[in-house]
Amino acid sequence: MSLLSIEEITKEYDGIKALDRVSLKVEEGSIKGLIGPNGAGKSTLFHLISGVEKSDSGKILFKERDITNMESHERSALGIGRTFQTVQVWGNMTVVENVMAGMHRRLKGSLFSYGLWLPWIRTSEKESLKEAKGILNSLGLLGKWESMASQLPYGKQKLLELGRALAMKPQLLLLDEPASGLTLSEIEQLSERISEIRRKGVTVFIVEHHMGMVMEIADEIAVLHNGDLIAEGAPESLRRNPVVMEAYLTRGSAGTRDRP
Amino acid sequence: MVKKEKKYEPPNSNDRSPRNNYLIGFWCFDIIWNLGFGNWNLNLSRQENMVPQTTKRSQRDFRKRDVFYLVPLWLISLIAPDPYLYHKKEFKKKDLYYLGAIGLAPLIWSDPHFHHVMVLAGIYAILALGLSLFMGYAGQISLGHAAFFGIGAYTTAILTTRHSFSPFVALWASALSASAVAYLIGRPILKLKGYFLALATLGFGEIFLVMVRESTNLTGGVIGIFGIPWFSVMGFSFDTYLRQYYLIWGVVTGLFIFSKNLVRSKLGRALLAVAASEDAASSVGINVPRIKLEIFVLGAAFAGLAGSLFACIMSTANPEAFGLGVTVPIVMMVILGGMGTIYGPVAGAILLTWLMDILSRYQEYSLPIYSVILILLLIFFPDGIGTRLNVRILYLIGYWAKKRKRDEGKL
Repeated sequence: MSLLSIEEITKEYDGIKALDRVSLKVEEGSIKGLIGPNGAGKSTLFHLISGVEKSDSGKILFKERDITNMESHERSALGIGRTFQTVQVWGNMTVVENVMAGMHRRLKGSLFSYGLWLPWIRTSEKESLKEAKGILNSLGLLGKWESMASQLPYGKQKLLELGRALAMKPQLLLLDEPASGLTLSEIEQLSERISEIRRKGVTVFIVEHHMGMVMEIADEIAVLHNGDLIAEGAPESLRRNPVVMEAYLTRGSAGTRDRP
Repeated sequence: MVKKEKKYEPPNSNDRSPRNNYLIGFWCFDIIWNLGFGNWNLNLSRQENMVPQTTKRSQRDFRKRDVFYLVPLWLISLIAPDPYLYHKKEFKKKDLYYLGAIGLAPLIWSDPHFHHVMVLAGIYAILALGLSLFMGYAGQISLGHAAFFGIGAYTTAILTTRHSFSPFVALWASALSASAVAYLIGRPILKLKGYFLALATLGFGEIFLVMVRESTNLTGGVIGIFGIPWFSVMGFSFDTYLRQYYLIWGVVTGLFIFSKNLVRSKLGRALLAVAASEDAASSVGINVPRIKLEIFVLGAAFAGLAGSLFACIMSTANPEAFGLGVTVPIVMMVILGGMGTIYGPVAGAILLTWLMDILSRYQEYSLPIYSVILILLLIFFPDGIGTRLNVRILYLIGYWAKKRKRDEGKL
């Protein structure tokens, strides 16, 4: 059973087709990669899945439920977590609060129960603090749990964003270029963590420019080019696919670096 | 396992407790110091008030008295340290000291004028608290907050004078009516962002004023409504300034605790998240429009409470008191006190109310001086008086202490 299926989705910006009738499926428990040259529509697809933007036509099904017209927060309530291409940690909070804010959906209680600080709020807050520290520990960020998120270096902010998404306990995790701006050793750690997340039963859908990483961890890869899905399959088969090679080579210097 | 956890304890750089002890010590010293001098000066000036001709000497004493009023302000303005760090958001023993200071202040300065100005400051503090949740935490702008203040005041005025409800019932009715209006207004308006939201709320405030002025039958027009009874609960009437002081500051304390609980919980985190990045906030399941609306309505309910109390204390409600002349000071209080703090708006309210009161004696010069002081404060304390002043004064103390040590070392 596929966890997420996208059917014939189209998105236009001022007459330019960012996505043209793209259909995709993400199987439950797998790691799916999405690659393509710059401007291929990868981030647009992610925005459509997470609900930051709305599609012009087509359908998005999550757990066989139509989420095409749902608001962003409703989709995340269903279990879609995501990170952003440009890091979006909340710099006005501490590191641990960032992760705790990720649990927003799971903590219940009305405004008044929080304002009056009822006993069960106290316990749930304490537990969420403990759990957040556990997540930070697994990401190696516990040493900085009290510093402001804006003071973390870029790589750690990316990790923190991942931790925040994990705090939601999502079923599907959308990672938008998690390796960009990271050093090689950080990328290795990251791919280990992503495999670990998969082992816990979370489905991962990942957009990435760093081919080595995607080829290593993904079970299946889809290739987007100018808003079209040009190839889909196991990493090994794509390496020898002439269409994919051409798409990357025609992109010039940027393409050579990203070539699979 | 236990050892492992200890290993990950945070570094000590964020722990500022010795500093805060320093602060409390310094503050206690100042209180004691003021007890003697402040009282003495106050009595002196009051006696001379009775003598008709004011000499140069008494004018000088007036200035001295002003200075002594400024000292408690300055002390209270010290109270917003490290608002962001998680463990600083918990209640501390320090908070009890501040509560004690607020409770004891009217007994030490037993001057009706002091009480009255502090009552006004408390009303402003309630308004600023509500606005601070919306502005300082959720990062939205509202320039129509005074309208909710006015709705509260008029609800109380109409219910108590025309329908002879007790002020206690009217208080809750005011909060309800203000929040109901906020809900109706907020549904469409809160979709706007930034300048547009500011303009829309500003427009709402003006529309409210026009409606109040024109609907003479209901609100008494420009003249307003007179003869609102004192606030009373179960036959106990708050008819002296001292009683009003405790009434208002009791309410402030309650709302302060409520707000502080709110911002240290899930809701506070969600508000800060909305302020920082709405996309990221909705990506973790925060319902952004709803939480904005909730906090807007809560702020309006605070303003409604403040308006009701204000009407009972002033015993009148007229449109002049709910225009931009109130909105702008409240916004200033929030900004000066420090955005994204809970102590900030209270400190800002006390500071600005006293500033306005003190400067009102210099009549036509008061507004220029007031604005110059505000500009200077904004230049030197862009993050709010609380945070920066703390750091600066502690820096100075440290500098003096080190200098003394250095000199001794040399000798």
